[in-house]
Amino acid sequence: MSLWFGVGAFVVVALVFLLVPLFRQKSALAGRQGDVRWPAVGVLGVLPALTVGLYIYLGAPAILKEQALTQAQSNYDVDGMVKALEDKLKATPNDPEGWYALGRAYIAFTRYADAEQALSKATTQAPQDARIIAQYAEAMALKQGSLDGRPLELVQQALEISYEETKALELAGLSAFQKENWAEALHYWRRLLKLLPKETEHHEAIAQAVQMAERKLDLRLGGTGMPMPAVPAEPRKAPH
Amino acid sequence: MIPELGHVALIIALQLALLQGILGLVGAACDKTAWMAMARGAAGGQLLFVAIGFLVLVWSFMANDFSVMNVAEHSSRRLPLEYRITAAWGSHEGSFLLWTLLMSGWTVAVAIIGRKLPADLHARVIGIMGLLSFFFLAYLLFTSNPFMRLHPPPADGSDLNPLLQDPGMIIHPPLLYMGYVGFSVAFAFAVAALISGRLDAAWARWVRPWTLMAWVFLTLGIMVGSWWAYYELGWGGWWFWDPSENASLMPWLAGTALVHSLMVTEQRGALRVWTVFLALAAFALSLLGTFLVRSGVLSSVHAFALDPLRGLFILVFLCILIGASLILFAKRAGAVKVAGNFGMVSRETALLTGNVLLLAALATVLLGTLYPLILDAFGLGKISVGPPYFNAVFVPMMAPVLLLLGIAPWMRWGSESLPELLPRVRWQAVGAVLAGLALPFAFAEWKWQAALGLTLAAWIIFATVSGLVARRRSAGSLPLSAWGMGCAHVGLAVGIIGMGLVSGYESEKTVAMQPGDSAGLGRYEFIFRGAEEVPGPNFSAMRGTVELMKEGRAVATLLPEKRIYAKSKMTMTEAAIRYGFAGDVYVAMGEPLPGGTWSMQLYLKPFVGWLWGGALLMALGGLLAAAGVRNKGARE
Repeated sequence: MSLWFGVGAFVVVALVFLLVPLFRQKSALAGRQGDVRWPAVGVLGVLPALTVGLYIYLGAPAILKEQALTQAQSNYDVDGMVKALEDKLKATPNDPEGWYALGRAYIAFTRYADAEQALSKATTQAPQDARIIAQYAEAMALKQGSLDGRPLELVQQALEISYEETKALELAGLSAFQKENWAEALHYWRRLLKLLPKETEHHEAIAQAVQMAERKLDLRLGGTGMPMPAVPAEPRKAPH
Repeated sequence: MIPELGHVALIIALQLALLQGILGLVGAACDKTAWMAMARGAAGGQLLFVAIGFLVLVWSFMANDFSVMNVAEHSSRRLPLEYRITAAWGSHEGSFLLWTLLMSGWTVAVAIIGRKLPADLHARVIGIMGLLSFFFLAYLLFTSNPFMRLHPPPADGSDLNPLLQDPGMIIHPPLLYMGYVGFSVAFAFAVAALISGRLDAAWARWVRPWTLMAWVFLTLGIMVGSWWAYYELGWGGWWFWDPSENASLMPWLAGTALVHSLMVTEQRGALRVWTVFLALAAFALSLLGTFLVRSGVLSSVHAFALDPLRGLFILVFLCILIGASLILFAKRAGAVKVAGNFGMVSRETALLTGNVLLLAALATVLLGTLYPLILDAFGLGKISVGPPYFNAVFVPMMAPVLLLLGIAPWMRWGSESLPELLPRVRWQAVGAVLAGLALPFAFAEWKWQAALGLTLAAWIIFATVSGLVARRRSAGSLPLSAWGMGCAHVGLAVGIIGMGLVSGYESEKTVAMQPGDSAGLGRYEFIFRGAEEVPGPNFSAMRGTVELMKEGRAVATLLPEKRIYAKSKMTMTEAAIRYGFAGDVYVAMGEPLPGGTWSMQLYLKPFVGWLWGGALLMALGGLLAAAGVRNKGARE
């Protein structure tokens, strides 16, 4: 409906552009009413009708309805899910899996502070779950913008519990890469690569990261002995 | 929702353009002041609505709205923001929308700045421009609609052609189109003059600043395009005689002839019919150029058949436009009073001769561009017409133009006697020949091409500067338009110096280099320090490091790149260039060879920057001349 309001507003503006100069001439042309009346009537009648007609012929007014439908559905789904989860956790707060899921949802919405809180609750309730601890570390790192300090400690803690925790391996490798410890980064990432299902986006991204680290390591060990142009180690966004 | 509103805006603009055309022309013919006022209002409204349409398209690109088909086909999520914006005119549809926007912009400028013109002429010009806009909007909406939708939208688009992901392409199309579209003003004035039969010095004075501005934009557009080709295509050429370049050169040649013949008409009232013809030709050639580049005929005449409606639409329009204007020209040109007699030797004759030569050169370009297309279209075989043809035919045609260009400003209007004229420029001529013969000795080898180019350039510079000095001495001061003429002519000479020296003395070398290897070229030594992978937003690049040494001293570190774009899998060569006053050093990465070795292309391009510097001076000259004409017009 709002589209047709927009169309109406456009038509009115167009008519203003046409009719204002016409009627400003009117006073100067007292004797020649016909010169003014007929174009005015013609324009008022034809322009709105032709605009609507051409738009229905050329445009895609139906797309709005379809878009609205799909959008309402997807909005409803995601927002509704988060809302439902929040309500459920308010009623039964002792649910580490629930807090974990909520934390991940918050990260997806880039609500990092909320994510950190939710995951902090999850870790207190399940202090030995490496997956939850690693996720907590990521939320904290995203919030503070760096892996250094407490997030890295959490990553190490998660790896001590399980050396197969993918998120922890990824973050540990990333931290090493940022510190230009190429060998260490390779150690974590190569291990991670073996654990990830092949031909997924995640696998491909990590494989690329491994290649990059390998090249850096080659250059360092190859001992060409020349200064490399300083390429800042780009902190890769952790792929979700 | 928003793309749909953009669509509606274009539909309204279409109707306003038609109203502007009909009301302007009929209003002028029947002397209805109210209708003419309405046509001006329609022009304003048309600009507003086309601008809304254009901004909506830009917004769709910025917001990654892949439900708009044009966005899905020419952008992607990982395309950097600045290229998402310029992608709006990177496509066929978007570039015509830009064309239409500029067209309505020029129309409103004429409507506002031209208020003091006689009412009927003003209304006719606006009306003709309205009809032109109507055609472009109809073309846009019915065959090349930028607001076609996709439902459901794809998750990501298929990315912009990597060639267009470059700062040069951000400004090249708008400048070029400003030039093309600007000639529509001269066209509209010419048609209006033919309809009303009023074609005199005052008419020429009104048209001249508009034509000069269009010419300035076209010059800049061609300059940026040539510069872009130089650094982006990876082998350092600056002009290829490619049909898409010829397409912009032809209107430029016609426009150059037009600004000069307009001057004769303005100053002397002469060459009126010729001027009108050139005004029609310049815009018709702009359209032809756009048709060639945008219909797909160039890549293959068969691409035309893929979307016959598009090509047919423009072709029919071209025929109508050229046919109608030529018929009008044939019927009405006889009614134009022939005035302004001039002698065999006079500034008028010199300008006319220059004009004819320019058009002859234009005809050779037109022939070389269209002939292969026509042969192919009729299935008579494929031939390619390349640089050898153009260099052999076009260049000799331009040399006499350059000779005339030096002497014409020295000549008197009306009539001039050679025995009086020649002694005044003899020292300039002798100086030019000496300079042209001597300067090539400063380079590795004496070459006649360089000598010829330098002689002509020196002749233009000496004759132009001394002419201005003499004029200033006799008149006390120089008008702006004289400064403009001097600037443009010297700019052309500077450009010719660049062309002559770079084509005579450029040197190149292709070498396989391992990290640590060095190669020498001229006085430079290139040390390859290896290549490493550098990630880009939507591509990954191998970036080489080349240290440039001159006589044992390190002067620069060059970082050429070889990029692979993720979506299109296209490989692009990003040359590294060290720009310099006396020439550029140009390094491009070729192919990777086993074992970390790369084939590297090294070029020295002496004085190549003068080419574009010269073009800039020419554009500045055009700007000064336009300002000069306007000032003069305002004073009178």
